[in-house]
Amino acid sequence: MYIFRRWWDRHALTLGLACLALSTAWLLRQTQSAVVLELYQRLTLPFQAAGSPQAAILANAQVEELQQRLTELKNQNYQLQKLLDYKAVQPATAIVAPIVGRSADHWWQQVTLGRGSQQGIKVGAVVSGTGGVVGRVVQVTPNTSRVLLVSDPTSQVGVTISRSRHMGYLRGLSGNRAIMEFFDKVPDVRPGDVVSTSSFSQLFPPGLAVGKIESVDFGKSPAPEAVIELSAPLSYLEWVVVTPSTTTPPPQSEPQLDLQSDLQSDLQTDLIPFAPTGLTP
Amino acid sequence: MTALLLWSPYVRQLVNWSVTAGSVLLCLFVLHSRFPGMELLGVGPNWPLIWVVAWSVKRSPWQGAFAGLVLGLIQDGLTSPDPTHTLSLALVGMLTALLQKQRYVQEDFISVALIVFGMAVLAETVIAVQFSLQSSHLMAQSTYRSLAEIWGYHQRIALSSAILSSLWAPVLYYPLNRWWQLINNIEQMQT
Repeated sequence: MYIFRRWWDRHALTLGLACLALSTAWLLRQTQSAVVLELYQRLTLPFQAAGSPQAAILANAQVEELQQRLTELKNQNYQLQKLLDYKAVQPATAIVAPIVGRSADHWWQQVTLGRGSQQGIKVGAVVSGTGGVVGRVVQVTPNTSRVLLVSDPTSQVGVTISRSRHMGYLRGLSGNRAIMEFFDKVPDVRPGDVVSTSSFSQLFPPGLAVGKIESVDFGKSPAPEAVIELSAPLSYLEWVVVTPSTTTPPPQSEPQLDLQSDLQSDLQTDLIPFAPTGLTP
Repeated sequence: MTALLLWSPYVRQLVNWSVTAGSVLLCLFVLHSRFPGMELLGVGPNWPLIWVVAWSVKRSPWQGAFAGLVLGLIQDGLTSPDPTHTLSLALVGMLTALLQKQRYVQEDFISVALIVFGMAVLAETVIAVQFSLQSSHLMAQSTYRSLAEIWGYHQRIALSSAILSSLWAPVLYYPLNRWWQLINNIEQMQT
């Protein structure tokens, strides 16, 4: 008993602190480290509104985005002339948000925005910036939100070739490259073609500029693949526009904290419309 | 130092632990930002890893592993809990403590940088192995990266993360080590 008492006297504080550290860490993990992000947002507040030093790059990207959008709109217009029951998508109210942090790990391509649920951002909102689509909001705290970039390998988006309307889906490749996998065996595609989000995507509104085809590998099995250069300069962006997603989120039985399973359910909703029917023209 | 001596042991403990916790918080903040000189091929230094190494260099393997566990859980919260960072960071903490550096090498800067270099490569490898296991488990879904992609990417980030982390390691290690040594000296003086 005495030995135990002596041991306890010596180690009680250390043990208590160790328990405190472990429980705090566990709490942070379960709350997606919301406290850390909120504090970070407060601390970086004075530095956020600084002018952008990469103005030239952004301007260039904007010109490119406009060009791509023009191509996309031209093609869409052509399609619309043939299609009569087209319903215009109402533009939703957009929130402009600064990027305050980059991803906290090398394996994930994420950014942290300096606006959160108090400003009206919800999980699933579409994030676009100068140059085109940037990603999707996967987590929000009162004043910050975390965005999964399109360049992340787990981020998959239904896309279409603007010129020939051939469909496929896009898988991030880190940096500002992505891989587009086609649903057709012999797609009509060549380097330089403009890629935009397809009208079958349930996560993104149709017609957002994504990027340009850099190279095509027709020999790839099971379907041809193309490397896409994303048009939004993801590593230089400082401000982005967040638009609430117009689509209904997938029904969830319980609130999920697990990012991976969120992604999976999203992915399924995004790709199921393509899967059963080969949408080949 | 004299001011610290006059404090009651409990206050000193409290200050010591808040300095430690504060340094962890600082690491987490810096992790999100990319200052000039902190980026190589889009990869920044692995600050939690540097902290775990700094903590474990002069401590027991269990203490090192515990610190790795705590920081790993927090980093999981900041990114995604699957695959987990606890495994790689706990391993790093334990191995760093097992090296028993202070017994063989007195010099601090370069040896710590070297340890961080090796540990950064190890940590990225552990995560890459977890990704590989995942992708072999879930072959049916194409949600996951292919093996070739994982290891190609691993090569790139392991090297840049190791270089940057080892170069930035002394920035964190030096002040923290000074502080812990000071506290240690005072405690020994009083007993």
